[in-house]
Amino acid sequence: MTVPSILSLFLAIIVTLWISPVVSSPDYHEQLFLEPLPKSSLLASFNFRGNTSQQSFDNQHFRYFPRALGQILQHAHAKEVHLRFTTGRWDADSWGSRPWNGSKEGGTGVELWAWIDAPNDEEAFAKWITLTQSLSGLFCASMNFVDSTRTTRPVASFEPMGNHMGPNSLHLLHGTLPGEVVCTENLTPFLKLLPCKGKTGISTLFDGHKLFDAAWQSMSVDVQPICSAEGDCQVQIEQTVDMVLDIERSKRSRDDPIPRPLPNDQLVCDTSKPYNSEDTCYPLEKAADKAWSLNEVFGRTLNGICPLADSNEQSVCLRVPHEKSIFTTQGASEIKHDDGFTRCFSLPHSEPFDLSIPEQEVHTQVPIDEPVLHAERTIVGHGQERGGMRIIFGNPSDTAAVDFIYFESLPWFLRPYIHTLQATITGKDGVRREIPASDIVTDTYYRPAIDRERGTQLELALSVPAASTVTLTYDFEKAVLRYTEYPPDANRGFNVAPAVIRVLDGADAHPIYIRTTSLLLPLPTPDFSMPYNVIILTSTVIALAFGTIFNILVRRVVSAEEAALLNSQTFKARLVGKLVAIRDRFVKKETKVE
Amino acid sequence: MALKSAIRNLRNNPHLLFVRLPNLLSFLCIIVGVVWLLLLPLNEYSRNTYISENALLPGQVHAYFTGSEQNIFRGYKQELEGLLNVGQKSEDGQDQVELTPVISNKIRSVFEASGLKVATQKYEYKSAGITHEGENTYGIIHAPRGDATEAIVLIATWKTANDELNLNGVTLALTLARYFKRWSLWSKDIIFLITPDSKSGTQAWVDAYHDLQPESVQPLPLKSGALQGAVAIEYPFDHRFKNLHIVYDGVNGQLPNLDLFNTAVAIAGGQMGIGSNLQEMWEHDDSYEARLQTMLRGMAKQGLGYATGAHSSFMPYHIDAITLQTKGEGWEDEMALGRTIESLCRSLNNLLEHLHQSFFFYLLMQSNRFVSIGTYLPSAMLIAGNFTIMAIALWMRTGYHEDAKSDMSSDSSQSKKKGSASVTSKSGKPVGLNGPAVAERLLALPLTLVTGLHLLGLVPLYIFNTIPHQFFTTATYIFVVVDIVLPLILAVLLSNGLGLSTPLVPQQYLLIKSFALLLLGLSLSTLATLNFSLSLTIGLLCAPLSFITRSDCSSNPQRFALSGLGLGLLNLLSPPAVLLGACQYTGVSVETVLTEAAYGWDVWGMWTQVVVWCVWWPAWLIGCVLLGSSIF
Repeated sequence: MTVPSILSLFLAIIVTLWISPVVSSPDYHEQLFLEPLPKSSLLASFNFRGNTSQQSFDNQHFRYFPRALGQILQHAHAKEVHLRFTTGRWDADSWGSRPWNGSKEGGTGVELWAWIDAPNDEEAFAKWITLTQSLSGLFCASMNFVDSTRTTRPVASFEPMGNHMGPNSLHLLHGTLPGEVVCTENLTPFLKLLPCKGKTGISTLFDGHKLFDAAWQSMSVDVQPICSAEGDCQVQIEQTVDMVLDIERSKRSRDDPIPRPLPNDQLVCDTSKPYNSEDTCYPLEKAADKAWSLNEVFGRTLNGICPLADSNEQSVCLRVPHEKSIFTTQGASEIKHDDGFTRCFSLPHSEPFDLSIPEQEVHTQVPIDEPVLHAERTIVGHGQERGGMRIIFGNPSDTAAVDFIYFESLPWFLRPYIHTLQATITGKDGVRREIPASDIVTDTYYRPAIDRERGTQLELALSVPAASTVTLTYDFEKAVLRYTEYPPDANRGFNVAPAVIRVLDGADAHPIYIRTTSLLLPLPTPDFSMPYNVIILTSTVIALAFGTIFNILVRRVVSAEEAALLNSQTFKARLVGKLVAIRDRFVKKETKVE
Repeated sequence: MALKSAIRNLRNNPHLLFVRLPNLLSFLCIIVGVVWLLLLPLNEYSRNTYISENALLPGQVHAYFTGSEQNIFRGYKQELEGLLNVGQKSEDGQDQVELTPVISNKIRSVFEASGLKVATQKYEYKSAGITHEGENTYGIIHAPRGDATEAIVLIATWKTANDELNLNGVTLALTLARYFKRWSLWSKDIIFLITPDSKSGTQAWVDAYHDLQPESVQPLPLKSGALQGAVAIEYPFDHRFKNLHIVYDGVNGQLPNLDLFNTAVAIAGGQMGIGSNLQEMWEHDDSYEARLQTMLRGMAKQGLGYATGAHSSFMPYHIDAITLQTKGEGWEDEMALGRTIESLCRSLNNLLEHLHQSFFFYLLMQSNRFVSIGTYLPSAMLIAGNFTIMAIALWMRTGYHEDAKSDMSSDSSQSKKKGSASVTSKSGKPVGLNGPAVAERLLALPLTLVTGLHLLGLVPLYIFNTIPHQFFTTATYIFVVVDIVLPLILAVLLSNGLGLSTPLVPQQYLLIKSFALLLLGLSLSTLATLNFSLSLTIGLLCAPLSFITRSDCSSNPQRFALSGLGLGLLNLLSPPAVLLGACQYTGVSVETVLTEAAYGWDVWGMWTQVVVWCVWWPAWLIGCVLLGSSIF
């Protein structure tokens, strides 16, 4: 049985608390959740949620729902949309399980999936292209590059989060851009969708310099219909920003962000070492968590609360042991929860709010939850022609097996040989054994690629026994692209989208998602500078040859005295000059005839 | 007019066409090939190096690795020194250092304290009866904004390539790891790899990184993305150093991208003011002789194809790598080396694409002078081409001109009267010289013999790669004897027609030589594009094979004397004899060389022996058999 992480459970409770009064009037909530993580990191999880009734959505009457997004969704007939911008890597070994159980994050780059209402596949795809093109403009991201080769239709990996009523024929389409770099140009449109637009409330903490210096960060937009049993529907938009900041790095001043060596007297040395002296120092790493405050970490203070949000809300929550002392600005009230770790703050309405934790020794530690599954995917082998994919699944639980769906969409130029799919299992005893892949894979959905039209889609239903590690490998062949199909940075390699893992946990309504890191696939690349050199060389040769021949053809050779006569300004001289020229021509002709 | 008559003369004189001209052409090829090589160090034929990849921007950043980092360096060094007990020196002055698990754990804990992900890997290799085992420790700095797609490797081996204790190098790696961790600008993961030795540790690691490791090597528990470059650090003494020695040769003569070497030179020289040496040329005055010597040393290393340092194992995986060794007594300290490496890492970090802009095939003759493949390749190609020319000429000669034997024996006298005379061959067929008769070629035996002898090369290949190392010297001497006796036995067998009914006709001897040379020429010209130096060396050592031939016409004593002398001289050029001679000259024991070679075959995937035993040795053997057959 999988242990739902306490953090995720906590987030889930908040979500359920919010969802319960769901079919009431339109509302807006925002919340910031902070948790110091080991290795001087800080998880900051921002959540913004707005509602509007289906009726006012249909009538284009928007209050908390952003109009720009709403109209795009209506135009593209998208009933449920999930958009993710992610960079960096969640360090599960140190930080434990993922926030929101991974359901609010995407693979590296941009990931988009939507349920589109359309009568057939072709129209669904046409609307999907409309959607990607429009979102591309709205979010300043290259989502317009999500074409048919990058679009898949997952069968088992995603379930609609919202309640879809009525006789809709919904089509799920999924696209990823693993090479997309997420940066400030994506944050600005993201903030503009918020009712308070980063002017007040917790969104004032977003500073591009700090946000995009995070070790891991994920921005998500989810739009889904929420319906009550009676059939009243609301359209809900939920935006989250999760990030893990390196406290030490974030605390550096913006004027001098260079981590210069410390002055000698500021070094923390292990004085118990016999050789410890003026010039010799064995560094001592601090055991206690570092001191930080919102202002230091985010570079700003929190500017009141958003007036549109529920005014009684505890919009900042912090997860540290209760015994830790925390200082806040005047006017904020602290409420400690019973779990011994969580405390929330009600913020003063229009005054800046800051929160600081001094460095202190505490005896209790916030427990770190073990993720239910470890997954690692790497490309193995070398060479221009073939390679292999190796996926390692580790089940840390001693008692329960993990069932999950493994979904991967591969670009068409990576051609997997599914018949080479092999599984090895390493049990508790540490002995590697080859087993037939069918022992582990309970179900397979495989849609082979068509060159230049669509990529490979592979969905495997897997089951990893307790306390064991399963390694799946398969071989693949690298296609040779056409000359014009290479991007300008062909030698960098080609991005392969991260695999998505959906852990099936029957009882829990909230699925757990895990994504692997993206991969770089080197393809056979021609020497592009060679044609360039050839072009330069031939152009030079042609220019030289043409120039000389043209020169010879059009130039008239005259003697110096003729030239002098031609150039002289008097009429008589010119006339004489012309005459000489005509005579010369005759003479020349005569010689030719001769 | 003169040309016309020359061609007419050639057509009317088959001896000139089939015997004199090929000999002359082959000889010319060899001479031109050698002269070409000797011209390369001149200013007119070599070029100044330059940075081709604009993204590298060598030395454009300020290196901050100074100040209190040195205190930490000293702290780490004291800590490691305490665990190593360096003070205990054995009788021969070598540091006797045992790498205990305590040290491995210490490195692990230092990496972990600095915030790196750490893992270890145990490996074991067996070669020539020696077991090489150890444990690699490596730590990964995750690129703060990255996604494990690309990585750079920094290597510090406990033992340098010269078997010295590399305490400063390892300490520097630890200090740099702690220092690099603070920076958020890394776009690639940085892997710090600490291996016990330069020979096997990195090989085990990089094999396992690509999941191609043998059974005896553990897989890596922790991985990152595609490796973009690797730099090994060696600082094996306590005093300050003067110069950096940059080692760049890889296994099988593969070289890293020239941009990586140039970046290292540019950063060391331009930014840090540290001179750089290459190929152990400590005094390089940029004269012709010095350049030629540097180039020849580089070619010797390339030709032997062994791993010259910890970086070499990376090359087969298309990962560009170099080793930086500190040399000499000077005023540069470990911090200067640290800043050089910091700057080098920053340059590699800038890379948007895999290093591909600059040359992969080059010969360096000074840290800022090189020749590229287009300039040097004709040299080896000409030498390989001489065998092909000779082989084709022999093939034509066997087809058109039966009385080759008589031509050979009386070269000078006959060439003049050939034009008119019509001679009768042994078999009694008249040969009209104005229109040479077409002769049937007896291919079966020559083909079988040449193929068989090439396959026979697998025997020494197997023996020298499997027997325990203490028998290597004996085996070499035995093989020298075998090389003397075997051609004679084969020659006797051949002159008796291998026990078959008819003895061999001269045409068959010519065909044997033709096939052998054809194969040699083919192999060497292919090899020239892969490993220029090896191809050139073997081409030169085999050069006499083009010109030796079987003679059986002159008087017996003279023939015996000539053949015997030829055989003796040729035996001096046999692979084992050359090996013994080279070992005598360099002062390295045969056992060491062959142990290294067997190790290369077993661990590094070195192909030099295959070329020696399956290309060079069979060609040489056939040459000896031809010479030997003129005795019997």
